[in-house]
Amino acid sequence: MSAQPARGGNVVLQALTQIGACGLFLLTLLGAIPRSLRYFRETLRQLWFVGAMSLTIIMVCGLFVGMVLMLQLYHVLSIFGGTSASGMVVALSVYRELGPVVTALLFAGRAGTSITAEIGLMRATDQISAMEMMAVDPIAYVATPRFLAGLIAMPLLCCVFCALAVFGGHLVGVTWLGIDNGTFWSNMTAVVDLRTDIVNGVLLKSLAFGAVVTLIAVYQGFATEATSEGVAYATTRTVVASSIAILALDFVLTAFLM
Amino acid sequence: MSQPRSSYAIGTGLFIVLGFAALAYLATQTTSVANVHQGASYTVDARFANIGQLKERAPVKIAGVRVGQVQSITLLPGQEVADVRLTIDQRYDRIPADSVATIFTSGLLGDQYVGIVYGSAKAVVAPGGTLARTKPAQQLEEMLGKFFGAGGVADNLGGSYLVTARFTNVGTLSPGAPVKMAGVAIGSVQSVVADPQKLDARVTLAIDKRYNAIPDDSAAAVFTSGLIGTQYVAIQPGGSPDALKDGDEMVLTQSAMQLEDLIGKFLVNGSPADKKPAAADKSPDASAGKP
Repeated sequence: MSAQPARGGNVVLQALTQIGACGLFLLTLLGAIPRSLRYFRETLRQLWFVGAMSLTIIMVCGLFVGMVLMLQLYHVLSIFGGTSASGMVVALSVYRELGPVVTALLFAGRAGTSITAEIGLMRATDQISAMEMMAVDPIAYVATPRFLAGLIAMPLLCCVFCALAVFGGHLVGVTWLGIDNGTFWSNMTAVVDLRTDIVNGVLLKSLAFGAVVTLIAVYQGFATEATSEGVAYATTRTVVASSIAILALDFVLTAFLM
Repeated sequence: MSQPRSSYAIGTGLFIVLGFAALAYLATQTTSVANVHQGASYTVDARFANIGQLKERAPVKIAGVRVGQVQSITLLPGQEVADVRLTIDQRYDRIPADSVATIFTSGLLGDQYVGIVYGSAKAVVAPGGTLARTKPAQQLEEMLGKFFGAGGVADNLGGSYLVTARFTNVGTLSPGAPVKMAGVAIGSVQSVVADPQKLDARVTLAIDKRYNAIPDDSAAAVFTSGLIGTQYVAIQPGGSPDALKDGDEMVLTQSAMQLEDLIGKFLVNGSPADKKPAAADKSPDASAGKP
């Protein structure tokens, strides 16, 4: 499974091999879900680690994204006298694009890297082999709980991000720049739709991103070369591959869902 | 990582609760979830000759209050009639049978919705029934047509007399545009020509003979109807005892406001340094009709 350095024109073949191996790994992960139910507490521990521990960065970033978005929109919309629409634009752009994408990128940096590094080090220090010796399935005990935790954590984190972004927009728009509080909310509620924006935008997108990011992170951890250098490469690849996958998938999902 | 078990369990619990609280906040505070009808509802059909830009799930309103939404829009087979099925909240089940369903537009550029204006009949429209009386969507083009057609109507009545007025700038005024006094069309613009000597625009107005007592010191101004409407000539009556006669020239005129100039002044506080050339020479062939 370990990635060999690409030689000559093997780059395409190499990429295909990676994608194929990743897909097969996903099937293994999903197949291990029934067995991993025994390790429910491990899933809970991972949820705490990838979810609860990521809250701080998600909340701070959400707040600032909302604030800076409102600041920019206010200055552009004031040219047309349409500042009362800025709350609505903040909400729509955060729910549909920025919320899921930025949360997923932060999640890949905060949780994805540590998953890869942890599993990579487990391999490097032969802990995975030790588990197999003790008849503990490493997929069911290590991989699937982390995958499930990421799957659950991402939509929740995205909701927190979006709520904080709207709060940040309100803070800057209403408290600082003096947009009317009533029009801020009524314009927003008039346009934001539960199905297309909250369910399709926030929840579905972040669920897909969570699956992709954690799958890549766990796969890279297992596919790493069992050396300290290999772990470093794998961690880098997790961030690069996750970012590309998130942005490409975002385009595909937007095209299908909108 | 090496937290005691109870600590991360509480932390995870708090995280999940916070996540769902955020979801609930998004779903209830920032969406129109309150507008999505809950509970029982019934459907009523309404048939329209033209639905304009009406879409499914557009609101249905009575007295401006949302009572339901458009469930489906279909074309009746074999007819040029659109069948619009309205889902209306069960609480509003006493709609008179002769109520009129009308397609309105919210604001100038807003979305369209179905408004129901109550009739006076004792009978109530039954669930699954049809509102017989409807008013189709107002097409902006038709409205403008009616608006400016009025100018044409005026000069069909028993002849007109001609007066001229000079403007330094007529904007986009063109022959056929209405001439209005107090907002009512009393005639139309017959020709707009550029004067080769005085270098301004000479506009010939055909005014209905019924309005023969317009003081001869009245002012003529080129106005724009609404934000995006076309231009017309407004006559503001003066105080002279003598009336305008055929062939007279109106001395007091006010040229057209150029929207570009206005917006420029308004937004950039810049001076409209480069005056746009007047559009007066737009229709030189219209001068054939002048006396």
